[in-house]
Parts: sequence; structure tokens; C-alpha cells
Amino acid sequence: MKKLTKSLGSFVVPVLSIVLALLIGAIIMAVLGANPLVAMQYLAKGAFGNAANIGTTLTKATPLIFCGLCACFAYKCGVFNLGGEGQFIIGSVACYYVAYCSGIGGVPGILLSLLAGAVAGGIWGLIPGVLKITRGQNEMIITIMFNYVATLFMGVVYTNWLRDESVPQTLPVPDSVQLPRVIDGMRFTWAFVIAIVVGIVLYYFLFWTSGGFKLRAVGYNMTASRFNGFPIKRYILTSFIISGAIAGLGGGAELLGTQFRLINGFGAGYGFDGVSMALIGQLHPIATMIVSIFFAALRAGSTTMQAATGVPTSVSDIIQALVIVFSVAGMALVKLPEFEAFRLRYFRKKEKKEATEQ
Amino acid sequence: MDELLRMEHISKRFGDFYANKKIDLTVKHGEVHTLLGENGAGKSTLMNILIGLYQPTEGKIFVNGKEEHIDSPAHAVKLGIGMVHQHFMLVEAMTVFENIILGDRNVSGLFIDRDARRREIEELSEKYGLDVELDKLITEISVGAQQRVEILKALYHGAELLVLDEPSAALTDIEVEGLFAIMRKLVSEGKSIIFISHKMREVLHISDRITVLRLGEVIGTVNCAETDGKALASMMIGRELSASQYEKMEAKGECVAELKNVDYNKNSKHNGLNGVSMKVHRGEIVGIAGVDGNGQTQLAQLITGVLAPQSGSVELKGKSVSVYDPSSFIKNGVSHVPEDRNLQGLVGDMSITDNLVLKATTAEKFSRGKGLLLKKRDMARYAGEMVGRYDIRCTSVEQTVRSLSGGNQQKVILAREMESEPDLLVAAHPTRGLDIGATRFVHDKMIEARDKGVGILLISADFDEILEVSDRILVFFEGRIMGEYSGKNPPVEEISLAMTGK
Amino acid sequence: MTWITSLLLATVRMAVPLLFIALAELYSERAGMVNIGLEGLAAIGSLVGFLVCYITGSTWLGILCGALVGVVVNMIYAYATISLCADHIVYGMAINIFAPALASFIYRVYFGTGSDLKQIELMAGIGIPGLKNIPFFGDLLFNQTPMVYIAFLLVIVTCIFFNKTRAGLNYKAVGEHPQAAATLGIPVVRIKYLSCVLCGALSGIGGAYLTTCYSNTYSQGNVAGRGFIALAAVIFGRWTGGGVLLACLFFGFCDALQIRLQVGSFGVPYQFFQMIPYVATIVVLSVIGAKKGGPQANGKPYRREQR
Repeated sequence: MKKLTKSLGSFVVPVLSIVLALLIGAIIMAVLGANPLVAMQYLAKGAFGNAANIGTTLTKATPLIFCGLCACFAYKCGVFNLGGEGQFIIGSVACYYVAYCSGIGGVPGILLSLLAGAVAGGIWGLIPGVLKITRGQNEMIITIMFNYVATLFMGVVYTNWLRDESVPQTLPVPDSVQLPRVIDGMRFTWAFVIAIVVGIVLYYFLFWTSGGFKLRAVGYNMTASRFNGFPIKRYILTSFIISGAIAGLGGGAELLGTQFRLINGFGAGYGFDGVSMALIGQLHPIATMIVSIFFAALRAGSTTMQAATGVPTSVSDIIQALVIVFSVAGMALVKLPEFEAFRLRYFRKKEKKEATEQ
Repeated sequence: MDELLRMEHISKRFGDFYANKKIDLTVKHGEVHTLLGENGAGKSTLMNILIGLYQPTEGKIFVNGKEEHIDSPAHAVKLGIGMVHQHFMLVEAMTVFENIILGDRNVSGLFIDRDARRREIEELSEKYGLDVELDKLITEISVGAQQRVEILKALYHGAELLVLDEPSAALTDIEVEGLFAIMRKLVSEGKSIIFISHKMREVLHISDRITVLRLGEVIGTVNCAETDGKALASMMIGRELSASQYEKMEAKGECVAELKNVDYNKNSKHNGLNGVSMKVHRGEIVGIAGVDGNGQTQLAQLITGVLAPQSGSVELKGKSVSVYDPSSFIKNGVSHVPEDRNLQGLVGDMSITDNLVLKATTAEKFSRGKGLLLKKRDMARYAGEMVGRYDIRCTSVEQTVRSLSGGNQQKVILAREMESEPDLLVAAHPTRGLDIGATRFVHDKMIEARDKGVGILLISADFDEILEVSDRILVFFEGRIMGEYSGKNPPVEEISLAMTGK
Repeated sequence: MTWITSLLLATVRMAVPLLFIALAELYSERAGMVNIGLEGLAAIGSLVGFLVCYITGSTWLGILCGALVGVVVNMIYAYATISLCADHIVYGMAINIFAPALASFIYRVYFGTGSDLKQIELMAGIGIPGLKNIPFFGDLLFNQTPMVYIAFLLVIVTCIFFNKTRAGLNYKAVGEHPQAAATLGIPVVRIKYLSCVLCGALSGIGGAYLTTCYSNTYSQGNVAGRGFIALAAVIFGRWTGGGVLLACLFFGFCDALQIRLQVGSFGVPYQFFQMIPYVATIVVLSVIGAKKGGPQANGKPYRREQR
């Protein structure tokens, strides 16, 4: 019974939201003149049909996982970091500089480049963090502004400073620092493995250590945390830095694993995608990763679907957007006292019935 | 005299809990009718039904003999029912004038006709002797003045029946006298008043009739002239009011906390401390008496490290504190039951278990390697123990604290703070909003801790609570200590005088 | 035209979309509804405005439909936050994710994936006879598109509404102290919904302005953070109509300046100039700091029977 209550919020709502969104997606497909069942079939085939497709799905999932974990970690501490995109981009820029300019190759080169990405992302997260705790400023607006600054800065790098002759993009990073694939024949690289490891570490930290416990307490109730002797400013700043570093690491991994060069549109949209993943995943790292893989599958599959049925790929974006609209509303709904009362009444009756039957 | 209001068989249920159960109440024209009852007796719920904020689960309401379904506050206003809430319903960012004309339905027109409205308000204010400054912001006027604004607002909206919810709680004695004068004036002009209180002296002083509520039910309605305090008290709490049942102690132990000439926001009468020096010893309960908002909040936060003094110093166990931060105070054995349990004490969205171990997650008992791996099973076992020992009523220790009742939430805090084996326990309004049983329980636990040698600082606006458990009583007024009294046979009259600054 | 005049001219033009969106937030927050979904609302308004104008050829119809779609989308936010008590920030974010996705989906479905640029004719400017001939100010203030006049008129109406009218006073009370407002018979929930209608309409208009009066094409991300800058403008403008106007003119100036400077170039990569509005927002917010302000019950859910 109590487990049911808990799962109602954290499991049923997202799953129902996804089902509902897929249903609306199917209606849209039908309106566009495709047979939804056929389209869905191609969608699934494109995502998981063969080893290569699974590889593509996991490749697409990687940046989503990183940005999702970035948002997830920050919100757990009550910090509304919307700057995942900027931190992702700055991380990739820093990573590019080290990978391209340092001349160090092989595993040391890769590690150093990724580290540079994480550090840069962390610093990019730190600045709004400092502004928040010293000036008490709203971190949402500031982090969004930092996203635009980061995107423009990356623009300076690929159109100006490290431009590849006539094309507005940089040269690819050397082969020796590109992340190798984990399994031959599947596109996904070690970047995916790193993402999963980060997610597991976050899960362990948030739910199994005292530090994570306190961080969550700060996120739920800052005043009570202060009264109970937690250094809240330190936790807030830490969460800015760590979440920034996760996104920065993601940017580096995306660069070394998939894109290889800085180019217009690199990282665009991942910030808000990350927010979606974290919110649908109920701010739980493991759930966030699962949700990320699901939506990556949707995206990977939508290409096959478009080729076969003509339904545009952006249906997958609509479905994702609908899931977030439904799931956040659903979460609010189950918390309403009226709903609680209704649920209690319903289950009470059922229990009574069971009791009399026995 | 005929009836203005009749409420018949009113019940209100929240979930499983009946806040009101078959309540009957009548109010006549031109009378002061008092609703008397402990906290949680259902007075406020009944009144919220009357003014249309809540809908009764069952029952009927008649106004001037006509049955009415009061489905919204607007409807109540139209029927001539006005309420002055205990926590004033005033918009702080607006002026007195704007607050009074807010929601005005008697006039039409797009724009505010300031001159005409002013004249009307001034007329009313003269007629009933309600002196207010119309152009001041709400934040700039005193609590007493705010109350006058509330009454004026209700009259302006055409109230024939005024509900005053604990109007004297935040007032000094002089202000209370002023309030009573206004109430008499209102009644002599034919208005009716429902007066809500649990202060016996005031009730006997001002009422015409008294209805006593207990645990959501009417115990009886009596004429004021035909009753006395003792009889009312026994109706109210279901037993004779007795002198303190606890033995009072003389402290001999070590001094656990000392304030030396502490200033904080010195010039603020309501939110500061002015040259406060005091001590708390092991094995005594020091009670801080005073009307709410005379620096008690600041005192509690200074002695627990939430605030830092602007001058003067705080000493713990004879050592001066250098870093004013809750964590260093906690390390020095200070426990705190804060005044706002939901905001300051508990993390509502976390479980009972989590809240019980909130401060101790790095302890050997609950984690390996100083917090590197939480022992969740041990935590749950411990929580189970606490639930038993402190009688926390819940369905599971994994339940969020938010879903508990106020009394049980308080027990969670109490369990956490007492079990940390403190040297000093600071308890601010620990029984506010609790029913009688839970209050008794909290008091028993405090006495138990005192007998074990804990020094306790009890801050309460409930004078009876202070008298009940304190070994020593300090009186606060406008951030100063007005006097110190022994808890054994305290001079009650003198203390209540001191609470008003005399 | 001198450099300065054209700079100021551009300032007014850049300030107007911001002004619509910031006024949207002002009406929202005055009723206690913090809506950070402005960016999304403007995005969908922008697309629908463009599309309707493309189909019908009427800019006015485009703007009207932009407003309508803004209202429709914002009703999702309104229902979730007012009736379901969802967190304002989280739900605003959901709108920010939902609305642009919808916009780009509609664009792709309607125009296909072809890359040829679709264009419309911008709204024509209308000079006010007489006034437009005043040197300097004539061009600046009285020789613009009607939307500019409407925006400025709206500021005046807003100031009068909040300061002089009975309805405005009641409206503000809902954002400051909804419980108090409710006891006085002010329909709190209705006003909150009304505020969301106004907010959706105005943000939709702000978005539609971008495609029908400013740039004649639609491109993904054309709102470019204006929804968030508008949020900053409301804070900067201390929640008053006049203050919001000044704040928007300031941010509009920053935008105009960056465009002018790009033309000058000076050998500096143009992206650095493009950063100016965003950096200005960060600096402004940091300077005004956490000074308490705004309606007291801003962002708090309102439940009628609270216990």
C-alpha cells in the first residue's frame, strides 16, 4: 500500500504521460496521412532494429544523459540551472583547444581534454552560482544569458580564431584523441560508458552518502537546512560547479566521440532537453538515464520513420514536449489534497472489501 | 432582541478528521457572543465556514431568519458578515486607504473616487472611534492600528456581524482596553460581535453570552453573568484547572549558555534585542514570557547561532563563541525546536526517518566512513524506535513529514532534538497549535530532559504554559528583560503587568 | 540620417517586442503568476503570426492569431499552475520546451524540409500627420508601425490601470495577498486566469511582432532569449509600467547598439557585439541584486481550502 503510493507518483505518472503522448503522436501521424501502426513499427525498427541502430540510439542518448544529469543534480539542490547548454558548449570548446592544440595523443590526451571540458563547464556554472549567493540573483535568467554568451563565443572560435579556411567550422580533432567505439559495428563510443558511470556515481552520492543527503535537504528546504547547521551556500555553489562540470564533460565527450569539430548548431537545444529528461525522470539519476535513452531511441527511430512513411522527424520532438507537459501536470495532480483524499477513499473501500472477503 | 445569525448542526470534515461536529450557534442583535475553546477546538474552522471560505460538510446557516448558502466570501460580505482574522488580512505593500476600499462592491465606476471614499471612511472612523492614518503603508503602522484598520474595513464593507478571531493575542494591555472600548461602542450602535478567545479574563470582561467548544463540539452556551472562570475552564478542558502539576527546581548546575549585553537590531521594538544579559543552567527550565513579537524570535535565533549579535557576546558552557553559525552551536550541544516547524525545523518532502536523522548522518551509528555510505537499515530501525518512544502517529516511517498532523510533526522535531542529548535545548513555542494531549506530552518530555540535566530555554506566548513548566521566568518587552521571577509561586499579576512594559 | 538617429530608431524598434513580452509578464506577476514560459509563448506566437500572414497576406490577422495561440498555449500553464497547483517555474519551463517544439513542427509540416526562404511583407509604417515632421523626434516616435504606437499606448493604459482604477487595485491585491483578496470577495482564481489570458496574448503579440514587423522570415530560435530578457526587464522595472518601459528601452538600446557596432566591425569578431544584450542583462541583474521587490505572493500556489 505505501509502496503503491510512492510508485504512483514516481512511476505511473511518467509512464502514463509517455503513453498519452505516444497516442497523440499517433493521431498526428494519422492526420499527416500515415498509418500510425506502420509508422510506430518503423520508429521501433529504426531505434532498436539491428545492432547499428542500437548504436545510433546510444550515441544520441549520450549528450542527453549528460545534460539530464546536469539538470537533475542542480535541481536536487534547489538550484534551477538552465545553463546546461552553455556549460556543454564551453566544455566542448575547452576540450577542443586541449585536444587540437596540445598535441598530446592517445589515452592521456583524451583524459586531459575531457578534464579540460569538465573544468571549463564547472567554471561556467560557478559564475552564475557566485552571482546567486553573493547578489541573491535569480539563477534562471542568468544561466540562460550565459548560454547565449557561450554559443556566441563558440561562434568566435569556429568562424574566426580556429576557422577551417573558407568553411565556418573548425578542423576535426586528431584521430589519436577521438574516443574509440566500445563494440565494433556499433556507433556508440566510450562517451556513453562515461555517461552511465557518471549517472551511477551521482545516484550513489545523492542517495547513499551523507553529503548527498544534506544536498537534497538543502534543495527541499533551505531555511530548515540552515537551522540544522548545513552550510547551504557551500552546497549551492558545489551543485552549480558539479552540474556545470557534468555538462562540460558531456560537451567534451560529444566532441571527441561524435562531432569531432566545432560547428554551427553544436550542442543547440541540449540544455532544455536535459531539463526535460531530468523532470520526466523525477530528478532521479537512474530514471533520468532511462528516460534519455528512450527519447534518444525516439529520435533515432524517427529518421527511419521519415524515410519510410514521410512523417517528419520532428514528431519525436512533439512527443517529448507532450510528455513533459503531461508528466509535470500529473505530478502536481497526485500531490493535490483532493486527489489524495480521492485515492484514500478508493483504496480504503478496496481494503475493506478484501478484509470482509477474507 | 431577535436573532441575527443561526448556525444549525454544522459539521466540517477534513479527510477523516471532524474539525466541527454538529455545532449549533445563535447570535442576537447587539451582543458580544464569545466562542471559547482551546487551540484546535474548531473555532477558526467554524468561522471560516461562516464567512464562506470553507463549505460545511453538513448543516444550515440562517441570517436574519433566512436560510443562506454562503458559498463565497463575497456572499458573506453581502450578508453583512465581516471577519477580522487572527493573522491580519492586510496587503502590506498598500496604504491603509487602499486596503479599506479593496474589493469594494458598493460603488460603481472605473476609477477610484478618492475624495468621496475618504469622506465615507472618515465618517465611519469618527462614529466608532477608530483612529487610523489613511495614507500610511500597512508596514508603517503598529499592530493595534492594523487591527483598527481591519475593523474599519469590515464596517466599510457593511458588516452587521463582526467576527474577531483572537483579537487580543498580539496586543498590549492598553491596546486591549482600547479594543474593548471599540467593541462596546460597536455593540451600542446595534452591531453584533463574535469574539473568539481562550483568555478567560477577557472573555468574562466583555461577553454577553459564551459558547464553549471542545474538540470540534459545543459543550454549552452560558450567559456571562451566570458563570465564572472556574466553571468555564472545566467546560473548556474537561477538567478542573489546577496549579502547576510539575515540581519546580532550583538550578545549581553549570551554566550552559550565557548572553552578555547582547544587542541586535536595537532600535526595533518588535524584532530586536536591547542589552540582554541572561543565563541558562543545567537542570532548569527558563521561561521567556511576553507578548509575541517583543524580541523572542531573535533571542531564540541568537542563542542557537542562526543570528549573530551586533554587540555583546554569547557564551556556551563558559566559552565565548567565535563563529556564529548553527553548525558550531550544534557541535557545542545546542538543540533547537524552532518556532516555525515547517519552515525551519523539518524538511517536509523527506521521510520521517530522514528528518529524525537529519543532523546525524555522519555519525558512526548511521553511516560508514563518516557519511560515505549510509546505513539505511539502521536508520529505519532507529526511526521505528523513535516512533514508539515519542508516540508519533503515522502509517510508516517512510511517509513524508508533510503528510503528518501538526502535533506529530512537532514530535518528530522533539525526538530529533532530545535524542541528540543536548546540553541546552531552546524550544520556541513548542506546543503552538497542538491539542491538549500532545501539549501535555511535550511538557512531560521537557521536564524529563530537565531532570536529566539539560538546560532548557522555553519561549512561549502562552502565559499558562510558561507558568506550568518554568523554574525561572524572564519577562520580555520590546527587546528588553523587564524582570526575573521564580517559577515557584510566581506573582502572576506582577508578571502580566511586566509583559505590558510596566 | 545620422548614426545616432538610426541607433535610436533601432532602439525603439528593438524595444517594442520586448515591451510586449515584458508587459505580459507584468500582468502575470501582478496576479502572482511567475511565468517563465514567455520564450515559448513568443516562439509559437511568432510562428503563427508568420504563417497566418503568409497565407492571408494580412499582418494584422497574423498578429491577432499570434495573440490567440499565445492565449491557448498559456491556458495549459494556467490550468496546471492555478488548478493543479504545479510549480510555476517548472511548468513555465515545460511551456518553454513544448511551445517551440510545436512551432518548429508546424513549420516543417507546412513548408516541408525545403530550404528556400519563405518571406512575407512587413507591416507598413504609418506616420502621424503633423507630428512626424518634428525634427529628430518625428521619425523616432511618430513615423513607425502602428504596433509601436500600440505598445506605448499599452504602457500608459497599464499605468492607469494599476494606479487609478478599482479593478487594478483588486488585481494587484491578488498578487500581494490572495487570501485577503478572497475574504473581500475578489474572485482570486478568475483574476489569475485572466492574468494568464493577458500574458499569453501579449507574449504572442510580442512574438508575432518579430516576424510581421521586424524580420520578414521565420527561423527557429528567432525569439533569441527575449522571453528571459523580458523577465529581467520586469525585475529591473520594479514591477511598474513605467519602469518596464525604461528597462525595455535600455535593453532595446543594447540590441540596437550591437547591430550598429557589427556594421562598424573594427576587426573584432561580430559575435562579441552580439553578446552585448545578454551581458547587459547579467550586469543589470547583478547590480540591482536581491533587493526585495515584486508582489509578495508571487509564484505561490493558491488553494481555497487550505489546511
